[in-house]
Parts: sequence; structure tokens; C-alpha cells
Amino acid sequence: MTEPTPETGLARLEEAEAEVSGRDAGTLRRSEPGPERPGPQRREREVRPHPTPLQYVLIAVILCVVTAIEIAVSYTEGDIPDALIVVLLMGMAVLKFALVAAWFMHLRTDLPIFRRFFVLGIILAMIVYVIALATLNVF
Amino acid sequence: MATIEQTTEIGAPAHRGASPGHDPHATATGVPNTKLAMWIFLASDCLFFGAFIATYLLYRGRDKVGPGPKELFDIPFTSATSFILLMSSLTMVLALAAIQRGDERRLRIWLLATALLGATFIAGQVFEFTEFNHEGLNLNTNLFGSTFFILTGFHGAHVTAGIIWLMSLWGMASQGRLKQGDSEKVEIAGLYWHFVDVVWIVIFTVIYLVPQPAAPGGG
Repeated sequence: MTEPTPETGLARLEEAEAEVSGRDAGTLRRSEPGPERPGPQRREREVRPHPTPLQYVLIAVILCVVTAIEIAVSYTEGDIPDALIVVLLMGMAVLKFALVAAWFMHLRTDLPIFRRFFVLGIILAMIVYVIALATLNVF
Repeated sequence: MATIEQTTEIGAPAHRGASPGHDPHATATGVPNTKLAMWIFLASDCLFFGAFIATYLLYRGRDKVGPGPKELFDIPFTSATSFILLMSSLTMVLALAAIQRGDERRLRIWLLATALLGATFIAGQVFEFTEFNHEGLNLNTNLFGSTFFILTGFHGAHVTAGIIWLMSLWGMASQGRLKQGDSEKVEIAGLYWHFVDVVWIVIFTVIYLVPQPAAPGGG
């Protein structure tokens, strides 16, 4: 039986992480810097490493583009049905909300308990206020 | 890691009796208490802002007197301030990335940039409120005035509290009291800051962008 080397140990760890995240271990090896290189590393109490600054900038660019589309859609009032505008705007707002929460607030990398608490608060708020507004004939 | 700590009762200081080399932030549950507390606070804040958004929707378009949103809103201006707040979330995560890799100079720069962008957003909100006031809208004018000022005013108060928090962190960083090991302090402030940003994403869409009902009196 061969002695486990640091290399094989790292490979096993990557395989285990890939199994958890559903990704290919080779992809992980390419995208995640080793301990000797600068960059984000998975810290204790995190499922995955934090994004890199470049990824943060990319998310910000996506947020800007979605915001620009939102504003453009709001100017189509009168040209397309209001109901469609509302659906499009709410969809884009949800997308922006999810991007900020997942990437900037690190919900996709942190322990699931944080996500559960936050989602619980959002769902509770939505249930309570949708019921209240429906009772008061707002819809 | 904290094997001794995990045997302590829940809620008790997990590092009690631990050797000095142990993680001082270790908890019995293995989850950082301050971070968990912030997430629970943010979850409760969803209900807080939800109440004001629901109230705005409830009274939307039911005014008997003007001025209403159609006459007052300046979408290009508010879009610009929304963009500024969105970008402050980017500078906030860059500050966190800086402290996590021990780059204190960039930490100070990004913290200050975030606070300044937040202050610019607040300045825009103050300008908007002043303009609306000159147009004849205040808290008591009509239902729109009451619900609009309460909702956006509370959001502005949250942003202002965030700016004070960020400036405190910047002051600590300037005095060399914010080191790589303190990254959780910046992370928790960041969570709060991103939350006020996501709340604004919803407010901006619901109040400003969604088609407005006809102006009071059919105008």
C-alpha cells in the first residue's frame, strides 16, 4: 500500500469538494488558487471560497446592465401592457436581489444556516403582507 | 478545530478554558455568533421594510389631492443615485477582499469609497425630498406623501447608520486597529450595507419604475 502524499491528499480533498458542489474536480483545480498563490481560499465555516475581485466586478457589471434594462423597460409604458412591464420589472428586481445576496453577501459560499434564516425572513414577510394586501383587495 | 468547545453548553463562551492558541471566535455551534445575529436582524428587517412597502402599495393611487408620483418623479436622477448605491456594494466587497488578504491600504480606500458613495446617495435623497417639498408634497399632504416619505426616509436612515458604521471601521483601519484577523467585522458591516442595497433594489422598482396610476383629479 502506498503512503498518501500531500499531492494525493489535495486531490482527494478536491474530489470530495467537487462531489459536494456537483463540479468536476479538474475544474476546481483550475479555478481555485493553491495556498501559495494570492487569492481567495476557502476559510473555516465556508462551503466554498469567496469570489475573486474580478468576479465581484463582473457581478457589478451584470447588475448595471440589468438596471439599465429595467429603466429602459419602464420607459415603454403605453407601448406594451402595464401587466407585462410589472412582470418584467419584478423579475429583474428579483434577479438583482439574488445576485447581490448570493455573491456580495456570500450566501452561496457561507454555511447554509445563514441562507435559511434570511430566506425564512423573506418568505415570512411575503406571506404576511401578500395576505394583508389580498384581504384589503389591493390585487 | 474546536473539539473542546463543541462539548460546552449552547450559548456559553465556547473558548472558555481554551489555550491562547485557540480561535477566540469559536462557538459551541460552530457558527459565528455575531454573523448569525446579523443575519437574524436582516431577516427581521425584511418584515420591517415589507410593512412599509405593503402600506405604500395599499394606498397607491388612492389620493384625492396631488401632487402625485407622476408629477414629481425624476427617473433619470433617481436612476443615477440608485446606480451609485449599487456601485457602493461593489466597493464594499472589494474592502472585504482587501482585509481578507491583509491589504490594509486598499481596505481603507474601499471603505472610504463605500462611505462616500453612500453619502452621495443620501445627498441625492435629500435633494429629492427638498424638491418634492418645493412642489408642495410633505408628510401630511396626501397618502402618497406619507407612505413615500416614511418608506424612503427609513431606508435613508439605514443608509446613514451604515455610513457611520463604515466611517468607524475606516477610523479603526487608519489607526491600524483593523487587521486581517478582524475581517469578520468588515464582513458583518458589509452584510448590513448589501442589505440596504437590496432593499433599495425593491423600493426603486416598486415605487419609481412600476407604471404609476393616473395623477389625482385625472391630471
